[in-house]
Amino acid sequence: MTTATLKASPRPGLARSYRPFPGVFDEMMAADGTVRPAWQPLMDALNGLKADEISRRFARADRYLSDAGVFYRLYNGGGATERQWPLSHLPLILDEAEWQAIAAGLVQRADLLEALCADIYGDNRMVAEGLLPPELIADNPEWLRPMVGHTPSGGHFLHFVGFELGRDRDGRWRVLGDRTQAPSGAGFALENRVAITRAFGDTHSAMNVHRLAGFFRDFREHLSGLRRSADEAIAIITPGPLNDTYFEHAYIARYLGFPLLEGEDLAVVDGKVNVRTVSGLKPLGVLWRRLDAAFTDPLEFRADSRIGTPGLAGALRDKQAAMVNALGSGILETRALLAFLPALAERLVGEDLKLPNIATWWCGQPAEANFVRERFDDLLIGSAFATGLPVEDGITKLGAAMTPTTRQAALRDLASNGKSTVGQEAIALSTMPVNLRSRLVPRPVVLRVYAARTADGWTIMPGGLARIAQTTDPAAIALQRGGRVADVWVTSPKPVDQVTLMSREGDEVVRTPQGLLPSRTADNLFWLGRYVERAEDTVRILRAYNSRLAERPDDRSGLLAMTAGYLKPLGTDPTRGIPVSLVDAIDDVQHTAARVRDRFSPDGWLALRDLSKAVGQFAPKIQPGDDAARAMTVILRKLTGFSGLVHENMVRFTGWRFLEIGRRLERAIQMARLIDTFADRDAPDGALDMLLEIGDSTITHRRRYSMTFRALSHIDLLALDPLNPRSILFQLAELKAQIELLPPRGETSARSPLRLEALRLHTSLAVREPAAVDRAVLDTLRSDLAGLSNLLTATYFR
Amino acid sequence: MLYDIRLSLRYDYGYPVAGGRHLLRVTPPTLPGIQTVTANSLSVSPEPGERRDATDFFGNASTALGFNKPHDDLELVMRARVKVERKTAAFDMSPDIEGLAGEVAAVRSLGAHSPHHFRSQTERLPHVPDIAAYAQASRSPGRSVRAIIEDLGRRIYSDFAYDPDATRVDTPITEAFALKRGVCQDFAHIMIAACHTLGIPAGYVSGFIRTIPPEGQERLEGADAMHAWVRAWCGREAGWVEFDPTNDMAASDDHIIVATGRDYRDVSPIIGVLQAGGRHKTDQSVDVKPVTEG
Repeated sequence: MTTATLKASPRPGLARSYRPFPGVFDEMMAADGTVRPAWQPLMDALNGLKADEISRRFARADRYLSDAGVFYRLYNGGGATERQWPLSHLPLILDEAEWQAIAAGLVQRADLLEALCADIYGDNRMVAEGLLPPELIADNPEWLRPMVGHTPSGGHFLHFVGFELGRDRDGRWRVLGDRTQAPSGAGFALENRVAITRAFGDTHSAMNVHRLAGFFRDFREHLSGLRRSADEAIAIITPGPLNDTYFEHAYIARYLGFPLLEGEDLAVVDGKVNVRTVSGLKPLGVLWRRLDAAFTDPLEFRADSRIGTPGLAGALRDKQAAMVNALGSGILETRALLAFLPALAERLVGEDLKLPNIATWWCGQPAEANFVRERFDDLLIGSAFATGLPVEDGITKLGAAMTPTTRQAALRDLASNGKSTVGQEAIALSTMPVNLRSRLVPRPVVLRVYAARTADGWTIMPGGLARIAQTTDPAAIALQRGGRVADVWVTSPKPVDQVTLMSREGDEVVRTPQGLLPSRTADNLFWLGRYVERAEDTVRILRAYNSRLAERPDDRSGLLAMTAGYLKPLGTDPTRGIPVSLVDAIDDVQHTAARVRDRFSPDGWLALRDLSKAVGQFAPKIQPGDDAARAMTVILRKLTGFSGLVHENMVRFTGWRFLEIGRRLERAIQMARLIDTFADRDAPDGALDMLLEIGDSTITHRRRYSMTFRALSHIDLLALDPLNPRSILFQLAELKAQIELLPPRGETSARSPLRLEALRLHTSLAVREPAAVDRAVLDTLRSDLAGLSNLLTATYFR
Repeated sequence: MLYDIRLSLRYDYGYPVAGGRHLLRVTPPTLPGIQTVTANSLSVSPEPGERRDATDFFGNASTALGFNKPHDDLELVMRARVKVERKTAAFDMSPDIEGLAGEVAAVRSLGAHSPHHFRSQTERLPHVPDIAAYAQASRSPGRSVRAIIEDLGRRIYSDFAYDPDATRVDTPITEAFALKRGVCQDFAHIMIAACHTLGIPAGYVSGFIRTIPPEGQERLEGADAMHAWVRAWCGREAGWVEFDPTNDMAASDDHIIVATGRDYRDVSPIIGVLQAGGRHKTDQSVDVKPVTEG
């Protein structure tokens, strides 16, 4: 294809109505209205498709994302909601030649940042030589004094870095900011790729798009090489499920096969970093953090951090583990540093910056402060110590766009406290096409690219995360303000290597992560098991209650009143169609599951969201009686759907055992209480039938005990039958079996108190006759089970 | 002056705690031109599983402790023999405020004693407009930085009431300033914040002070507590000058330094002790006994 033929068919199909803004560089369309060569194959492919086929393909990508549970957290007012991942379906396309220039510039920049970090945490020669103002370091909250004078284990401060790029009016790429603290988004880039290939798989392979998997494979090898011995674990540390990019932390952890930890999972003992697991302390060699350094160690940084690990900073100073990136490397994100990087590049890497960053003036110097005052209207005015992009921090403003009050305040600040202010040139940013209501429209775009350290130096991810503004205003790039994201394709004239991390790009590695089950995860799985079971029991009772209410609203027998009395101590009021306590119970399930998200398949997560949504929709409108009985059937089906997915899809490994133990323990406790009340001699007529229904054993009972309708047969079936999966004895047998398979703790593992207690509970019930299962026995059993739960907690979760 | 110092910190948790890590800054260092430590010891009970001594960024002696076994109390006893011989400047060699700005700017170092660390806000030292206004009264044209410091210290001494019940260890300076009451920690923080508003680098000093007994009386054993005062950078020539606003005096041979930093957070004697209420009890006693040299 030649340029001549391109020009012969300007703006075909979808591109026909596309109008870039005059004077702004557009990624897809040149100023003369022709489609840029790198985009041509995709635009051709789109033109070959009917509008409804295009919609179908876009929908396929969206369905993948929603099935995979990709979302982000939107913060508004007091709360946060999970939003569908805002994927824009057209990728940003760059050809290999242009990409190589970007990559070379970023490799140089990564080297420069590493050298600068070593200086800032080393002997501060740049300050001594006058290349860096001392107050930019000394006043910087990201300069962590406890780390000064220490070289990290492995010798490097930086291992994984992100860069924000944008084009100026002339189409030249410029660096807008550096991400060195805990760069996010690489996992989202992978997910975008998988989603987009669902929509344009054929075009994607025909266009020789560079694969992303090799980048992650190389970085994983690098992390592996940072360990001092092979038995040390590599883990990702996260602030936890409330973080806006927690989904991505869990995704990357599963993709690379590393456990996802929180601060409390780590313990510093004898100066070394360990993971608290159900098998005791295990050595940790490498931590890839998604946690800001200030929160990592309450002894040395923020004392109010509840998500850190006391002693971690000291262990890192002693080179007992490698931290990616080193604590304190966040200082490199400081906006004012951009003003000094050109001169520092010359000094530290002996070259000019290959990829210039946006011009920045730090107002701590009189000449610069004057310049900014003179060109105030044309410049972005913001905080010198800010670490976010000017277009997304919500504070930085173009001088001309300020209200008179803001402007006055900013000028006053500039005069009195210039060192905390920077002025930056406002660059136009390029635009790229976004599909809005079946029309392509140009929107400003910022490109985030990642560099990872490998044995052979820096490697640049051939792709990245394009972030697109919601409106024509570049400030609308932030996801929190409606921005979208797009995949980034780097296309080659030749076929590309089909390297993959695993069998197929984007598939998750399911590996046993070094046999490591953190105690906190086990604790959460145990409680997840208990909460799911508790919710299920409540639903079963409510269904039985409401179907009887529908038939006999007068409650002459007093059965409904008795059931209400039974539910009261559980906080459940059955006279409401969907009791508040049920909504809470489902919330408990979801919150607990959220804390162990890296352990679930997306299907399990989706089932849970579906459940939660259904309960939320029912809650305001369901009436007691038949309406509620039917709603309970729907909820029950969804709840068992979730348990089914978990039990069918989770590997029978230690984590599953804790979930199973939680479920069995809860079911035994609930059944003991149910029998105690419903099989009581004085219980109203129909109580035994209701007990069988709640225990899902009506048919079995009818078949087996056709002639007897006495309480003893019910007790036999629901307490003592070793084959009935709802009987107490069945739960105790399962508890005993699973507890025996848990990892040994301490020296006397074979006769550990936990195992002996599980054995004793099982035996003591197994030898009983139905007539001997009375209130006292059931009461004792319930308190013994609570004791077993405590024993399990003390043995494995502390 | 030669002192035998004994500091004891006792924490009674009231129930067993599983373990824990603590960071201590309780041991005085040798500081040329100020004090020489000839002997020191730190005993910890119960015996910690781990113990590690280090020097922090500001040159303070720190000790990290790790406990792996349950314990329901913790006792630390630091003993040191320290000789204090301060070289006090005979003349005021400090510039005025305008001159100081130039001298600060000329310092191209981020070493532990560089003035650059001691000019900006911290969590404990926010910018408080009322304190800025208060500080202005100590400033007058041509007045030397040292004279400003001394005036500021003297005013805090006379305008504020010493009242151990008015504030706690975490009371913000805004509150202490509004109350015009507090203890050495509050006075030191307020004075540092005031210095910052005038462009004078200033930091926090923790240590001990000998309580001189009233004439004819036995000095009280253990009556003293850990003390805090201020140091301010008064230019290239004068360097760091220490002033004690609680006692309206320049630091003398009665002041023994334990640690220096930007604010209390940098020098806290102990970090990482459970702050839980209930039966939790703490107890601190300090004994600074002059030793007759012979």
